[in-house]
Amino acid sequence: MPLPLTRFLTGLTLLLGALSLGSCRDSGGIDPEPTGPTPYTLKVPAGFPTPVIPADNPLTNEGVALGRMLFYEKQLSSTGTMSCGSCHQQDKAFTDGLAKAVGVDGVANPRGTMSLANVLWSNTLTWDGAFSTLESQALKPLENPIELHQPLTVSVSKLQNTTTYPPLFLAAFGTRTITNDLVLKALTQFERTMISGNSRFDKYLANGRQGFTADERAGLVLYTTHISPGSVRGAECFHCHTQPLMSSNYEGKFFNNGLDLTFSDPGRGSITKLAVDNGKFIAPTLRNITLTAPYMHDGRFKTLEEVLDHYSDHVQMASPGLDNMLLTGINSLPFGTHMDLTATEKRQVIAFLKTLTDSTFVTDRRFSNPL
Amino acid sequence: MKIRFSTLGLLLLPLALFSGCKKDSDSLEPTGSVNFTVRNVAGSQDLVLNNTVATTATGETFTTETFEYYLSNIKLIKSDGSTYAAPDTYFLVDQAKPSSLSFTVPGVPAGDYTGVSFIVGVDAQKTGLTDPATFTGDLNQANNMYWTWNSGHIFLKLQGTITSTTPNKPLTCHIGGYTDPNNAIVTATPSFSGAKLTVQANHTPQLHLVANVTKVFDGPKPVALSTFTGAHMPSAQSVQLAQNYAAGMFSVEKITTE
Repeated sequence: MPLPLTRFLTGLTLLLGALSLGSCRDSGGIDPEPTGPTPYTLKVPAGFPTPVIPADNPLTNEGVALGRMLFYEKQLSSTGTMSCGSCHQQDKAFTDGLAKAVGVDGVANPRGTMSLANVLWSNTLTWDGAFSTLESQALKPLENPIELHQPLTVSVSKLQNTTTYPPLFLAAFGTRTITNDLVLKALTQFERTMISGNSRFDKYLANGRQGFTADERAGLVLYTTHISPGSVRGAECFHCHTQPLMSSNYEGKFFNNGLDLTFSDPGRGSITKLAVDNGKFIAPTLRNITLTAPYMHDGRFKTLEEVLDHYSDHVQMASPGLDNMLLTGINSLPFGTHMDLTATEKRQVIAFLKTLTDSTFVTDRRFSNPL
Repeated sequence: MKIRFSTLGLLLLPLALFSGCKKDSDSLEPTGSVNFTVRNVAGSQDLVLNNTVATTATGETFTTETFEYYLSNIKLIKSDGSTYAAPDTYFLVDQAKPSSLSFTVPGVPAGDYTGVSFIVGVDAQKTGLTDPATFTGDLNQANNMYWTWNSGHIFLKLQGTITSTTPNKPLTCHIGGYTDPNNAIVTATPSFSGAKLTVQANHTPQLHLVANVTKVFDGPKPVALSTFTGAHMPSAQSVQLAQNYAAGMFSVEKITTE
């Protein structure tokens, strides 16, 4: 059916209008309301994936600032003694230095505090991937009896009764009425700004692979190399701790890295209820790894040397569901039974891991306690 | 002087707008979209990760823990032999992620199409010559389908366990490589078997593909699992496996229009 001329002309007029207003952007270029929160601009490091922000919780300067306050707000705990920031400490890349996190009542969690660096890109959260959105995850530590141990509704009424918070919620969300949903939205807005992409490794890549020592460079090669027994030696790290995030959070995969023959903590299996997932955990980010000891979900290794000894010499090769890369990652066939890194190779991998520390991230005042 | 200038400006305004926005003016041609769906199978069974036992032509068996591959450079072919090459089409299919088993190619000129072709993997121009820091979307390194040592993307990743050997063996196929002699970039052209894919403005017909995981090993260059030691870098073995899956892994199950 031929388009009537008037409709065509109207369409053309609208098109021209849209073009002149919105220039060439794909999405509608309608300017924000003159009042209300102002958009927060994320600075994404080169090579990182395009962030996905929930449409119903866009980042705003006011929301992020409020989230930062709430992150360090001890009224969110039943005892008034702890906040998110108690376990997620900036100088430790938002971990706590403990093997297992300890909540307000002094009871230890079964697993350790995870770093929040680049949590924006985590499609699967916590060690077992129990949550797929930050908003849903953030509720758990607030209410969990062995963490902050306070129903969010109680936290909300405490905040509502302050003179500080209602105006901040008004600025961030256009209402003085605080709700569970808005507390979680503000907290997660702040968490999404915690980007770590300025380590020496990042600078090495940005500067055309310049600036590493020989050991650091050799460690990077080992990190990113799949073993070919007899011809190429490697350490296989990259399969799970994938660049550029140095984790499996973006891909959303879980691995049995051979810690145990039987599993006291089923890990991913506790979520999926599949036997094949027992003993599997997310591969957490290795960014800032020198600051996030002790290591593994239960903090069993105190040092990076112990971690390298594990992968090199002590992987339980008969552990059910052990990752294929570790099963076949044997450098010295036909007689080798494990990865068998040399002392030099271990030192080189650790030298590389140390380049992943981002000193600007752990000192950035935007992430520090404003209270 | 003033009047002449503003008149000239008015005349030039639409020109300037259009020259900066070619894409918008192109969209005035009638185009539709084509939605691709992929159903991964092992022979006659739907593929269930960590569960389905796949059987090769020679009766060897394996289970699958990971099955991922890129489909890119999608071309739709008309009966007169002319083709529409969809620009910038790079899709990562991951059996573990249901949302990746369906994707849509927009901007397809209206018409009747009688065939399709696509690279199983990523073209050399993109994977080899692009700064990895510029990879976005499905091509980003964070998807864990990329080798950082100048070897480009992993085009197809199949991991699991060979269950027909005693003891069972880990199965690892990471297929990639974009330079000769180990260039594993292959093109699949599954037949429409005489059917037509009709694209109309504002319609989204569906092309339903089936991908049979056993065809990684079965095909023009069969690979015996009993002696297979894995593929994890550009190699002659990887090219052999790529030739297999190019030839027989994909078929068109049906074409539907909503």
